[in-house]
Amino acid sequence: MLKLRVKFKKYSLIRYISHLDLMRLFQRAFRRANIPVEYSKGFNPQPKFSFATALALGLTSDGEYMDIELQEEIAPEKFTKDMNDVLPEGVEILEAHYTDDKKSLMSIIKSSSYIIELIPLENSSKKSIYETINNFKRKKEIYITKSKKKKGRTIEREVDIRKNIYELDIILYESDRIILKTLLKTGSTGNLKPELLIKALIKEGLQVDDVDFNIHRLDLFTEDPKWE
Amino acid sequence: MIEQKTLDKILLKVEKPARYIGNEQNIYIKKEEDIETRFAFAFPDIYDVGMSHLGLHILYNLLNNEKGIYCERVFAPWIDMEEQMRKINIPLFSLETKTPLKDFDFIGFTLQYEMSYTNILNMLDLSNIALESSNRDEKDPFIIAGGPCAYNPEPLADIVDFFVIGEAEETILKIMKKYKQMKQKAMTRKEFLESIVNIEGIYVPSFYEVKYKEDNTIEKMIPKKKNYPSKIKKVIQKNLDETYYLDKMIVPFIETVHDRVILEIFRGCTRGCRFCQAGMIYRPVRERSVENLLELAKKLIKSTGHEEISLSSLSTSDYSDLENLVIRLMDEFKEDRIGLSLPSLRLDSFSLDLIEEIQKVRKTGLTFAPEAGSQRLRDVINKGITEEDLINSCKDAFKMGWSTVKLYFMIGLPTETKEDLEGIKNLAYKVREEFFNQPKDSMKGNLKITTSASCFVPKAFTPFQWHPQNSLDEFKEKQEYLKKIIKDKKIKFNTHDAETSFLEAVFARGDRRVSKVLIHAFKNGAKFDGWRDQFKYDEWINAFAETGVAPEFYANRERGYGEVLPWDFIDIGVTKSFLIRENERSKAGEITPNCKVSCSGCGIQKDFKGGLC
Repeated sequence: MLKLRVKFKKYSLIRYISHLDLMRLFQRAFRRANIPVEYSKGFNPQPKFSFATALALGLTSDGEYMDIELQEEIAPEKFTKDMNDVLPEGVEILEAHYTDDKKSLMSIIKSSSYIIELIPLENSSKKSIYETINNFKRKKEIYITKSKKKKGRTIEREVDIRKNIYELDIILYESDRIILKTLLKTGSTGNLKPELLIKALIKEGLQVDDVDFNIHRLDLFTEDPKWE
Repeated sequence: MIEQKTLDKILLKVEKPARYIGNEQNIYIKKEEDIETRFAFAFPDIYDVGMSHLGLHILYNLLNNEKGIYCERVFAPWIDMEEQMRKINIPLFSLETKTPLKDFDFIGFTLQYEMSYTNILNMLDLSNIALESSNRDEKDPFIIAGGPCAYNPEPLADIVDFFVIGEAEETILKIMKKYKQMKQKAMTRKEFLESIVNIEGIYVPSFYEVKYKEDNTIEKMIPKKKNYPSKIKKVIQKNLDETYYLDKMIVPFIETVHDRVILEIFRGCTRGCRFCQAGMIYRPVRERSVENLLELAKKLIKSTGHEEISLSSLSTSDYSDLENLVIRLMDEFKEDRIGLSLPSLRLDSFSLDLIEEIQKVRKTGLTFAPEAGSQRLRDVINKGITEEDLINSCKDAFKMGWSTVKLYFMIGLPTETKEDLEGIKNLAYKVREEFFNQPKDSMKGNLKITTSASCFVPKAFTPFQWHPQNSLDEFKEKQEYLKKIIKDKKIKFNTHDAETSFLEAVFARGDRRVSKVLIHAFKNGAKFDGWRDQFKYDEWINAFAETGVAPEFYANRERGYGEVLPWDFIDIGVTKSFLIRENERSKAGEITPNCKVSCSGCGIQKDFKGGLC
């Protein structure tokens, strides 16, 4: 089996397309670039490729990954060039290599790092922002309400997200913007969305705008780090 | 230009923000200094609907192929986006460069269905452009319109500056050329209109005055000047193989209604169904050659990467070399897993074999359009399909493993009786029987018959253009009756909103006095009238009351052959005497053969030679 592991970035306006739409975008780009993708058997043949994890609508990223099964070998450099020639602005293949890894990308991903840009509220101060973040980091448990739709009903439950936050730091403070860097658990064994982290921070008193923020994923990692 | 930063503030607050970002594959980007004329192709419905429309892709590419012209796209924002835009005062903008519509030279609306008219007004309003052409000034863009509904342009007479009647490929370029000259000479708005009024296919409503009789019918339509044409003749492309053809299409980021390559195989139709406007206005039939189509298909797949090709035309089975075309397309694209779809097939056994070949394993549902329940009524409308055809096709289809069938009917057709309505039920039940009559072991799947009955809307330029539409009460009574008699678990029965069809009938045959109703309805809050959950019928009724216009006059009144019809000044090539003849034949239940069998002298050959009719 020829499996190509591909790293790509998603930026600019493409952040407004959903994960499903991104899959269709790739499917069509493969055809435009003449990539010999393997197809599934059965009623409705689909090209065989899978993503490490879905990036939510609205986020940009420098570190997205996918595996593609090929019918015949092509040079990874050729793959990268041919794809970039046909991809729309906003999706770019960064790197590709063949892999023998039998495990799916989805199963090996453990964490992701993000840059989060927040807008401080007018009456907030630098001191209070730093204090809130520091207090937040000292907590042993942080509960938030997660809602889940099950059989048409919305089920709400309290979950502790503390164990899913590995790193959290203010890397820039300006009176009109704050930039945080964070490392969060990601993958099939547990997952924390950065939006939920923001929600929890606001709940704990962080004085920032709760709708106007930007999230950028830096990269995905295969290790399960410990909180320091 | 609207800053992306401004849009970023609202895009995450709306459903499917990719509707508003542009930036798709195969769009045109032009340098500011290369642009002399800015044209906005405007579709008065949401992106998902508009991007599925072939005409958009044709005109977009055609115009952008011209030096100096930049054609961009704009769609009606969905209500959530409109709300956000109004909240922070963002005017309606083009997708390519995010330019406010007011800054364009032309805004070209395509008129695909009457129920999109209020969206035109909403789009103008969102652009801060006056709704009525008489209130626009020298700096405003020209509002132009074309498409099938432009064959009766009068309901939009107060709104649109000028119409393009017919297939726009040639006409639009002539207009652009004139406009370029105008810019150099610094002509006024009026002078420009004067300069194009004699181009074939152009109609400038403000250059005409309509006089009415006491009974509210039209006495005459008078050109305000001698040199204005008294008849506007439609324009068609005579030879499709030599006409501008589409070899690339924009690839949307989100799923659209028809998310695939559209291959237009021919224009026109030789069937002559008496209710069908498209069958009359698009005459004569003009085909593209198989060789040409194969080349185009290859280019379109190469440039889009789409996984499906859809053959587009009226009555696809009438393409003279369909089998050859389908086989060659399949051969070409099978390897790449590109599917083929033929949405407008007459389902005879030949077609079923073809579909079987195309679909091999994956089977979608089948659609049949008997239109009427009884043979008598099918003869009245000249549908040219017998019950035997239908039952045999169903039998074959069931044998081949299909189990989902859709049946389309209309209620309110001329001369319809209770027996005809019962016929709808009987036909659906017979199809059901046919499924269970098969030997047990060949029965596959779970039978599902979906029967839909829409409300007949008499349209301009059809043999039924003189007929009254059923009243709302009549429609509702008929719908209730059908709901009562169709009682079978395997048969689902759907109806359409009679109110929507009633308004459609008003605008399909309205004169210029209904322009003001439209404006009132829009001001009352009407938009997206074709969307069931947005349709505000009460506001329409208020609008009729406020303007003193009786909708029944347009929808429910029988017209005499001698009456001057609002669209009589347009020449589609098919003669009025032919339409009268066809209407009379329909009353006698006489069928008229397909033009391929024998010519019934519709008149199209006289002025529009070049077709295969």
